Amino acid sequence: MASEPLYDVIVVGSGAAGGIAGYVLATQGLKVLCLEAGRMIDPAKDFYTHKFPYEWPYRGGGKPGQYGHLPQGMEWKIKEWTDHLYTIPDQDPYALAPGAKFTWTRLRAVGGRTNVWGRGSDRFGPLDFQPKTLQDGWGDDWPIRYEDVAPYYERVEQLIGVSGSHDAAVYNTPSGEHLLPPFNARCGEMLIKKGAAKLGIKVAPKPLAVLSQPYGGRPPCHFCGACNWGCDVSARFSSLDVLVPKLQHLSNFELRTNSPVHTILRDPGTGKARGVTYIDAATKLEYEAYGKTVVLAASMVESIRILLNSRDREYPSGLGNSSGTLGHYLMEHVAFNSLEGFFPQLAGRPVTNDDGPGESCLYIPRYNYGAKNKKYLRGWRFDFYTGCGMGPGPGAAFPGFGSSYKQKIKELYPAAVSMSGYGEGLPFYSNYVEIDPDGLRDRYGIPQVRFHTDAEYPEALAILDDMYGGIEEILKASGAEIFPYKKVAPYPLGSVTHEAGGCRMGSDPRTSVLDEWNRCHDMKNVLVTDASCFVTHPEKQTTLTIMALSYRAADHLAEEFRRGNV
Amino acid sequence: MSEQMIGRRETLKYLGMLAGTASGRDFLAAWLPSAAGSRVQAASEAPHTPYSPQFFKPEEFRTVEILTELIIPSDTTPGAKEAQVARFVDFIVFSAAEFRPEMQREWIDGLQQLDRLSRDKYARPFAEASPQDQEALLMEISLPERNPDAEHPAFAFYGLVKDMTVDGFYSSRVGLIDALGYKGLAVLSEFAGCTHPEHQV
Repeated sequence: MASEPLYDVIVVGSGAAGGIAGYVLATQGLKVLCLEAGRMIDPAKDFYTHKFPYEWPYRGGGKPGQYGHLPQGMEWKIKEWTDHLYTIPDQDPYALAPGAKFTWTRLRAVGGRTNVWGRGSDRFGPLDFQPKTLQDGWGDDWPIRYEDVAPYYERVEQLIGVSGSHDAAVYNTPSGEHLLPPFNARCGEMLIKKGAAKLGIKVAPKPLAVLSQPYGGRPPCHFCGACNWGCDVSARFSSLDVLVPKLQHLSNFELRTNSPVHTILRDPGTGKARGVTYIDAATKLEYEAYGKTVVLAASMVESIRILLNSRDREYPSGLGNSSGTLGHYLMEHVAFNSLEGFFPQLAGRPVTNDDGPGESCLYIPRYNYGAKNKKYLRGWRFDFYTGCGMGPGPGAAFPGFGSSYKQKIKELYPAAVSMSGYGEGLPFYSNYVEIDPDGLRDRYGIPQVRFHTDAEYPEALAILDDMYGGIEEILKASGAEIFPYKKVAPYPLGSVTHEAGGCRMGSDPRTSVLDEWNRCHDMKNVLVTDASCFVTHPEKQTTLTIMALSYRAADHLAEEFRRGNV
Repeated sequence: MSEQMIGRRETLKYLGMLAGTASGRDFLAAWLPSAAGSRVQAASEAPHTPYSPQFFKPEEFRTVEILTELIIPSDTTPGAKEAQVARFVDFIVFSAAEFRPEMQREWIDGLQQLDRLSRDKYARPFAEASPQDQEALLMEISLPERNPDAEHPAFAFYGLVKDMTVDGFYSSRVGLIDALGYKGLAVLSEFAGCTHPEHQV
């Protein structure tokens, strides 16, 4: 395509990382092409936020077996409300090495997974960027500190709208100073707050990218609780609803959908990237687009896949992989089954509408600092869910049938409680992803990945055991009755949809892929700004940090353009 | 994670949780002092609205109706009959042909097994047994649910029936709204949260 123009920046992906990068670069005047693998979404047609289960043919669950085998952590995502949004694994498979497990959630559309994300928006803390130096000497520090990222957390919070509380600041869990007011908590959440207080454990308002009041031209949450199926009024942040509308009218921003990127093009003379190749999803023909810089923000797996598929004579094991670490050090939270039960003190109370802002309003930030003789590294957070939901609740677990069984369900319905833990995931070279050596390709003919990932490493097993104990302790102190449960092995990488690593940042080009500005050490005009750049994976949620890092990297890139360094 | 939803799938999450473990038995001893199912109303004489099952034969469908109405009876609030749970089961099992045909086999085999048990005990198929005998047989089959040391060859079928009955009932308008009282998925101008003084910290 000789007529293809030369862009300043080609941004690959339009989700959390790509949406922010495109926004930062285009609003600073750079000529941006954003390539999105999926289609445009129309919230009015694609989000079924106000539909009850009985309004669906199969009550929302689809035909028995319709979605095939869904890996751990994906069963609840793909429903009749959402099955047109997600990629169904059996229909576009990826490869697993023998014994490996990986849950890869793909939502190929403008906005990516921010269309249906969990909305929890906590910042990483100072100890999370320098765990080796400040915590325990294990692993690696980031090449940047909390202070480097803090201004960008602030900007992202202002841009997307986060509700929470600065008053609740807890150790190593910094919060913004200008958040929207927090949401009111439910009865069960208050009981946990009281119970945890007896143990000296702090329960804090959960920072949520959901509006508690009108903000930036968007209406506040109307408490339908259906955020997992999208939001019909943009009360929660998504790149689709919040960022794309700010860009579409700009003449220097172009969004090209249905354009999955295949490789990065390299100029053999200069050694630098000169654009990308991408597939037109409709015709499956390959095209080229040219840019002075390329920002990969396609999600952890996809960005790594593009780099690995861009191998050439100079980079035979993948572009930017002179360190040999590309695709390695993959991480995920240490996650497991939630503990379920009920509050006897809430049994039989009148039913209330407990949907609220969809998510929990409170949570338990990490509290286990400085514990001596602990068998694990780092720490955990606990999340909990209480009250009346869209299902029978804990009473259904009881044996029997008939009126007394039905009565038990009714009695315990408003008393439901469950609590789950998320531990820091550790980076290991042995947890990695590669291009499938057996030649698996995706629906566009692009070579697909194979995962070599094992969540059951000794530190994960150790922290898991203590997390079960911690949850039991807090629930009991809150007066909850806990159902008997079985301890399980840690859930697979990817099961929390918080996969990270594989292109990690670092100051040493021999042990990392990216520098402190998310540029490839090997090729400074290729940036990677999604979660693949993560060096550590603390117990906190990932999306706000993805956006802050993408903001920071794009801001620096724009500055480099202004200085004529690109 | 936080993406974990308190949704209707908690039906499946909770079902069977307490069955078959010693700790489950201890838990139930504390929380379930009296036997369940003792006040079940027979549904076999109830009026029958016309429906042509898509999967089950008419006599099988009659048994499915009785089973679902035994598990979730109509009492002070509507039950499986009003929610037409048997029709839900028929529709879902019919729809299983494409991706999960084994579910159809489980239902056919289970219903035949139930009739065999009923004939052995009462000399007639399940649907023709007295309401008292139907309930007694279901109690017998479900014994492993309350006693982990007990076994019954039809227990797996009982689990399937109970699972789909609870799922079908509490995902229906009758079950979720009328019987359970779910008030959510609404449009509110504010969310007060907990306002009880006794719950405040």
